[in-house]
Amino acid sequence: MASLDDPGEVREGFLCPLCLKDLQSFYQLQTHYEEEHSGEDHDVKGQIKSAVRSHLSDFKKHRAARIDHYVVEVNKLIIRLEKLTAFDRTNAESAKIRAIEKSVVPWVNDQDVPFCPDCGNKFSIRNRRHHCRLCGSIMCKKCMELISLPLANKLTSASKDSLSSHTSPSQSPNSVHGSRRGSISSVSSVSSVLDEKDDDRIRCCTHCKGTLLKREQQIDEKEHIPDIVKLYEKLQLCMEKVDQKAPEYIRMATSLNAGETTYRLEHANDLRVEVQKVYELIDALSKKILTLGLNQDPPPHPNTLRLQRMIRYSATLFVQEKLLGLMSLPTQEQFEELKKRKEEMERKKMLEKQASLESQRRLEERRSDLPSRANGEVVYLRRGSAPLRKAEGWLPLSGGQGQSEDLDPLLQQIHNITSFIKQAKAAGRTDEVRTLQENLRQLQDEYDQQQTEKAIELSRKQAEEEDLQREQLQRLCEREWEREREQFQAASLHTRTRSLDFREIRPFQLEPSTEPCTHLAHALDLGSSPVQSSATPKTPSPSSALEPIRVWSGPPALGQEFLPQSTMSQQREVPSLNPFEEEDSSSPTAEVSTSPRAAEPSCGPPSHILKEYNPFEEEEEEVAVAGNPFTNSNSPAPNPFSEEDERPVPGNPFEEATCTNPFEMDSDSGPEGEEPIEEELLLQQIDNIKAYIFDAKQCGRLDEVERTAFAGQMATPNLERDDYIGNVSGGGCFKANLDVLPPPTPSQSTGSPGLQVPDCPAAPALAAGRSLL
Amino acid sequence: MNVVLAVKQYISKMIEDSGPGMKVLLMDKETTGIVSMVYTQSEILQKEVYLFERIDSANREVMKHLKAICFLRPTKENVDYLIQELRRPKYSIYFIYFSNVISKSDVKSLAEADEQEVVAEVQEFYGDYIAVNPHLFSLNILGCCQGRNWDPAQLSRTTQGLTALLLSLKKCPMIRYQLSSEAAKRLAECVKQVITKEYELFEFRRTEVPPLLLILDRCDDAITPLLNQWTYQAMVHELLGINNNRIDLSRVPGISKDLREVVLSAENDEFYANNMYLNFAEIGSNIKNLMEDFQKKKPKEQQKLESIADMKNVKRLLQNPKVTECDAARLVMLYALHYERHSSNSLPGLMMDLRNKGVSEKYRKLVSAVVEYGGKRVRGSDLFSPKDAVAITKQFLKGLKGIENVYTQHQPFLHETLDHLIKGKLKENLYPYLGPSTLRDRPQDIIVFVIGGATYEEALTVYNLNRTTPGVRIVLGGTTVHNTKSFLEEVLSSGLHGRSKESSQVTSRSASRR
Repeated sequence: MASLDDPGEVREGFLCPLCLKDLQSFYQLQTHYEEEHSGEDHDVKGQIKSAVRSHLSDFKKHRAARIDHYVVEVNKLIIRLEKLTAFDRTNAESAKIRAIEKSVVPWVNDQDVPFCPDCGNKFSIRNRRHHCRLCGSIMCKKCMELISLPLANKLTSASKDSLSSHTSPSQSPNSVHGSRRGSISSVSSVSSVLDEKDDDRIRCCTHCKGTLLKREQQIDEKEHIPDIVKLYEKLQLCMEKVDQKAPEYIRMATSLNAGETTYRLEHANDLRVEVQKVYELIDALSKKILTLGLNQDPPPHPNTLRLQRMIRYSATLFVQEKLLGLMSLPTQEQFEELKKRKEEMERKKMLEKQASLESQRRLEERRSDLPSRANGEVVYLRRGSAPLRKAEGWLPLSGGQGQSEDLDPLLQQIHNITSFIKQAKAAGRTDEVRTLQENLRQLQDEYDQQQTEKAIELSRKQAEEEDLQREQLQRLCEREWEREREQFQAASLHTRTRSLDFREIRPFQLEPSTEPCTHLAHALDLGSSPVQSSATPKTPSPSSALEPIRVWSGPPALGQEFLPQSTMSQQREVPSLNPFEEEDSSSPTAEVSTSPRAAEPSCGPPSHILKEYNPFEEEEEEVAVAGNPFTNSNSPAPNPFSEEDERPVPGNPFEEATCTNPFEMDSDSGPEGEEPIEEELLLQQIDNIKAYIFDAKQCGRLDEVERTAFAGQMATPNLERDDYIGNVSGGGCFKANLDVLPPPTPSQSTGSPGLQVPDCPAAPALAAGRSLL
Repeated sequence: MNVVLAVKQYISKMIEDSGPGMKVLLMDKETTGIVSMVYTQSEILQKEVYLFERIDSANREVMKHLKAICFLRPTKENVDYLIQELRRPKYSIYFIYFSNVISKSDVKSLAEADEQEVVAEVQEFYGDYIAVNPHLFSLNILGCCQGRNWDPAQLSRTTQGLTALLLSLKKCPMIRYQLSSEAAKRLAECVKQVITKEYELFEFRRTEVPPLLLILDRCDDAITPLLNQWTYQAMVHELLGINNNRIDLSRVPGISKDLREVVLSAENDEFYANNMYLNFAEIGSNIKNLMEDFQKKKPKEQQKLESIADMKNVKRLLQNPKVTECDAARLVMLYALHYERHSSNSLPGLMMDLRNKGVSEKYRKLVSAVVEYGGKRVRGSDLFSPKDAVAITKQFLKGLKGIENVYTQHQPFLHETLDHLIKGKLKENLYPYLGPSTLRDRPQDIIVFVIGGATYEEALTVYNLNRTTPGVRIVLGGTTVHNTKSFLEEVLSSGLHGRSKESSQVTSRSASRR
C-alpha cells in the first residue's frame, strides 16, 4: 500500500526507471538516479521514489454512505417540489393550494413549535408560524425562504430529464434573486399576511432552500462553460500544436541552414509561417483571456483577474521560450549559396579522403621502396649533409606546408610518418620509431629536392621577368612609392615576412588550424633542427647575400601551390619588397645597390599591380604546368590544387597561415617595429652564414665556404658593425640557422647580378646554380 | 538521498495526477513554504497551476472551472477548513494530499463533508519539511525547547517532520542519539514510536546496511553558530538572513522594488548553485555589495579568532569602538565557552568590560545563557578535550593555520562527529543506539538531525563529506537553520538565562567592583 515504486520488485536487477539502465546495486541505482535524472522532470507516471499512502478507498467508503443519504434527501425534495408545481397554481384558490401542499408533506403541528427553530424567536400573533412546503417544518417569516416557479421548474425538469431544454442557466440565478426580491416587496405591499397567496412561489425553510440551491448550482455547472475555459482550451490546443510543429521546424531549419537538401526551403517556410501564426494566435488568445470581463459592471473577483493574468503570463513565457528557439531560415539566395558551399565542402572532403588514401597507399609503397634507394646515392647525400639538407628542406617544406600542406602528397606522407612516429613513440616501439624517422628523413630529403628544383625553375623565369620589369621600374621614384604605400605595406609587409618565414608560421599559426601540421613541425624540429624556433621571426632578413636563396625558394613554393587571386600581390612582393624595405631604412649602402631592385617591389600595387600581376600569374600557370613534372608524386592530386586555388576552405591551414593570421597579427607591428627587426635579421643572417660556413667546412666543401664567407661580409657592412660577426660564435645555433639555408653554390651566385646584396634575382641564380651542381 | 528532489517529486506527482486543465494549489502556511522551496512560479505555471491559495483565506471566489490541488499539513484546523470547503466546493474537483499521516477519523469526517463528490484523491505525501539544499532540511522551528526539554507542540512537529523525511527518502533507520541531551533522547523515542506504529509505511526494501538516524543537540556545539560562517550561503544568511531561500532586502536603503525580496534557490539560480558552498572570499568579487559588508566584518572576526587565546586581546578588542554590541557579546560568549571551567577565568572582568562598553543587558544576559545552553556541564562530548588553555585554544583554532584558505578557520564539531560515525568510531557511551540492535558495519546512509538548529557551515561540512567519502550519503537537518542572531534568539527563547551559577557570580562580582 505504501510504495508505488521500486522497479526492482518487478524486474530483475536494479533498473533505472528512466533510462532502464541496469545498475549493479541499489545504492548505485539511487546515486545514478540522483545524478543523472535529478535535473529532469520526473514525470515517470505513477512512479515516484518516495513513500505515499492513499486514503481514497477509505474516503470513498465513508462518502458513499453519506452520499446515499444526501441524494435521497435531495431527491425527496425534488419530488415534492414537482408535486407542488404540477398543478396550475395561479388559477387555483388559496385553500385548494394549501390542501394540496399539505398533502405533499405532513405539516408539523403549530403547538409543537413555540419558537422558531432557526432564529429562536417566540411565535406570537405578530410573529406567525410558517410551514415549509417541502419538509413541513415551521419557521418564522424572517427565516422563511421562497422558491420561484421558474427555479422549481428548472430543478424538477433537470432531474426529470436532463436532455430537455429549459430556462437558460444564465437567466436562472437572476430569476431566483429577482423573484425573491420581488416577493419581499410584494409581501410588504400586501397588507395581510393571511391573504398572501402563493401563486408564483413556494415557501420553504432555509435548509430545503439551501439544498435545492446547491442542486441548482450543480445543474448550472454541468451545462455552463465559462468563456475563459473555452478560450483556455483553444490556447492549450495551440500550445500543443507548437510543441508538435516547432521541433519539426527546427529540424528543417537546421538542415537547411547547413545547406542540406533533405527538406525543401518552401516547405520550411510554410511551416514557419504556420508556427508563427499559431504563436500569434496564442498571443491573441491569452490577451483575450487577460481582458475577459474587465468591462463588466461588477468587476470580476480579484482572483479571477489574477487567474487571467497568470494565464497570460504563462502564455507569454511559453511564446518567449519557444520562439527564441526558432532559428531563421536562409533566403533563397543564401540557401543556394549554402548549398553550394556544402557541396563544395563535401567534394573537398571526398577529395581529401581520396588524397589521404592515395598518399597512404603511396606511403606504403614508398616504405618498401625507400630502403632499396637508400643504398644508392641518396644515402650518401644524406650522410654527407644531412643536417644541411634538412635545413634547406625547411624552407620549401614549410613553404609548401604553409600554403597547402594537405595537397602535396609528399608532405602528406611526411605528415603521416610523423604521426606514425608519434604513435610508435607513444607505444614505446623504439625500433619502429627509428625506421620511421629514417623514412621521414628520406622523404624530407626528397621533398627538399623537389622544392629546390621547383624553386630553380621558377626563379629562372622570375629572373627573366624581372629583368624586363626592372627597366620600367627604374623610372619610378621608389621612395615616393614607398611612402605612399607605407600603410598598405605595413599590413602586408609582415604578412610577407610571415608567409616566408614558415618556421615561425608553423608553430604559431598552423597550430590552431590543424594538429597534424604541428606534429609535423615538431617532428621535423626533433628530427633535424631542435634550435629551429630560436631563429624564428628574423630569418627572412633579406640583407645578406645568401638571403635571396632562401627567400626565393619561397616563391616557387608559393608559386606552385598558391592561389593566384588572393595572394598574388603578396607573392609578388615576397621576394623583393620585403628585403628592400628593410634595407632601405637600415643601410644606405645596401639601399643604393638595391635601389633598382627595390623599385620593383615597391612600385605600388596601385599602378603596377597589373603589370606585376600578370607576369606572375603567367608564372603561376607555368609553374602549375611545370610543377607537375617536378612533383611527379603530385600528379594524383592536381584537383586539390586547382580547388584550393579557387576556394579556400575555411579552417584550412593554408588560409590561416598565409592570409588571416599574419595580417591580423602583424599589421600593428608595422613600420615602427621594423628597424630593430632588421638589425636582428641581419644578425641572424650573419649567424646563418656563419653556420653555413661551418657546416660547409665540415663537409669539406671549401668552395662554398669561400663564397659564403664573402656573402657574410656582404651582409656585415649593412650592420656597420664588424664585431657582430665576432659575436656570433659557432655555438649551438648553427644547425638551426643552417636549416634555413639551402647549400648554394657561390660560384653561380656571383654570376647573378644581384648577388652583392639580398637581391631577388640572385636567389634563383643561386638556386639554379646549385641544381647544376 | 536528495531532499529537494524528494519534495519536488511529490509536488510534481500531485500536479500530474490532476490531469490537464487550469489548476489552483491550495496550501496552508507551512506547505506554502515547502512548495516554494522546490518550485518556482514560472516552473509551476508551466504545469497549468495558475493560482496559489491559502486554505484559510476567506476571500476565495467560486471558480468551478479550476481543479484544486490541496497540499496541507494534517492539522486539526486544516481538516476543519477542508470540511467547510468540501461542503461548499469552490472548485470543480479536489485532489487532496496531506503532508503527513492523517487519522482515519479525519478521513471519515472529510468524506462525510464531500456530499457533492468533488474529491478525486486523498493521499499522504510526506513532504513535511523544508528542503533547503539537496542534503539540508529544516523545520523552521525557532525555539524548540523550554529549558532543557521539548516544547510539546514542537516535539510533535519535529517528530512529524523527521518521520516524513524518513518516509520521503524511504528510510527505516536505526537511531542513535546524543546521550547528554534529554531532548535528543525524547525525539529519538518519539520517532521510534511512529515507526513502530506505522510499521506498514516503513516497510521498505531492506538494504544491506540499514540507514542511520543520528539525533544531536545544538548545545553540544554552541560555538559554530556563534562564529561567522564563510561560505556564500552562510554569509548571506549571516548578514541578510535567509528564510525559505528568500532574502528580505527591504531594509537595504535604496533597493529597487523588485529586489525587496530575493529568492536564492540552487534549483533555479545557477550562480547560487555553483557558489553556495564556495568560500565567500572566492566569490567576493562577484557580489560587490555583499563583499563590502563582508570586508567590514572580516578584520575583526579574524582578529577575534586569532586572539581569543589571549585575554588581553579580547579586552583590547572589546574596547575597540568599532566592534558592535552584538559582536562584542559574541566574543565574550566564545571566551566564556572556552574557559568556562578554567581557574584563571576572567569572565567577570570581561563582563564588566561589556557593561562599560554599553552593551545592553539583553546581550550580557545572553552570555551566561549561552554558557548555560552550551557549556561544559551540558556537553556530553569533549568539545575541548585538553584541559589547559593553550591546548584548548590550539584545538579551537585547529585549521586556522596551515590551511590553504585563511577564511575557513573553523571546522564545526559536527565534522568530527560524522567523521567518527563514518569510520565506525563514534563512541556508544556518548551516542547510544535506541533499542537493542546496533550497526555492525559502517553506516552508509546517514541522517543527522540537530535539535536547536543546524548551520550552513555544517551543511558545508556535510556537503564536503558527501563529496569526499564514497558510499556515504549524509543528509543534515535541524529544527531550523541558524545564523548568529537566530541562534541567540533560540538560546533566549529556551529561557535558560540567569539560572546558572556563573551568571549570578558574574553579576554579583561586577556589582561589587563597581
